[in-house]
Amino acid sequence: MHELSLVRSLLAQVNRIRSDRAGLAVDGVHVEVGPLSGVEPELLVSAFEQLAGDFGMTGTQLVIDEVPLMANCPSCGTVTVEPVRIRCPICGDDGVTIVSGDEVRLQSVTIQCPEPEEQAL
Amino acid sequence: MTQQTIAVGRDVRAEARQRAAELRESFTRRGILAVNLLSSPGAGKTTLLQATARHWQGRRRMAVLVGDLATDRDAQRLAPLAPTVQLTTGGACHLELPLVERGLERLGELDCEFLFIENIGNLVCPASHDLAEHLRVIVLSTTEGDDKPGKYPKAFRTSQILVINKTDLLPHVPFSIDAAVADALLIQPQLRSVAVSAHRGDAIGDWCALLEQAHSELILNGHVCHSNR
Repeated sequence: MHELSLVRSLLAQVNRIRSDRAGLAVDGVHVEVGPLSGVEPELLVSAFEQLAGDFGMTGTQLVIDEVPLMANCPSCGTVTVEPVRIRCPICGDDGVTIVSGDEVRLQSVTIQCPEPEEQAL
Repeated sequence: MTQQTIAVGRDVRAEARQRAAELRESFTRRGILAVNLLSSPGAGKTTLLQATARHWQGRRRMAVLVGDLATDRDAQRLAPLAPTVQLTTGGACHLELPLVERGLERLGELDCEFLFIENIGNLVCPASHDLAEHLRVIVLSTTEGDDKPGKYPKAFRTSQILVINKTDLLPHVPFSIDAAVADALLIQPQLRSVAVSAHRGDAIGDWCALLEQAHSELILNGHVCHSNR
């Protein structure tokens, strides 16, 4: 269950973003998970629910987008590939380079920030 | 109060990867080839390392960081053959970089050409963690089924060498080396494979030759061919 350590790192990163912006509450965290990320989205959600409170994020919504595995084929450009058959679906070249879908990507963070005038006060 | 959405667009593991890259670079500078060994429980990682140490005895220097959930049984087997430090994860299913760093401190001055990191027996979680290795090696044993590569694509995609172990049991199990290798090549066409019996010592020289070749490449070029690291 390595999702726990991943979520701990995710929450720490979100917390840093929040303090850089003098943010108060974190409303939402948006991540993208691909088929070669090694992460199970359901387990990511339960790990997030379990740990969010420790980082002052009880009630923060985790939004997960499951994205396909994308690769760059030397002849055909960007293509979608199957994780169990990593080759270009158009020309069959297996010398493709994976460009996305092997990561857990923190896409955005939505936070509550004081109005500029409130900050001035 | 206003709601702000801040675009980030960064891999959550980017920082850990950067630290792993720096440690790998320091291994490279010291002429040490770091090898991360992945497999299911019981595939024979420790036996393979014992056979490797015996094969190299007096010729090549190796050190081992061996991960385990609870005991130091693997370290006890390896310690008579090579400098070995046990990393106990306390139940965690994989090794992470900080554990490796602490293990390196306990190993002290690294006087070796090969550093093996024997991961926890598990083909899922260890695949997601860069432990600063130059080579990731996956050990698959003939008692496990030759359809395993497709079931664990991440582990096979991120490995450079496939060791098929327990070839001494081939007469007794329905395992096809060709089928296993073919399945693995669908996921990682650059994967090099070698079939051994670590228990009996069969083809251990072939396996060691692959490592020696990778070590020479590292010394010559500063990186290992076909490695995505």
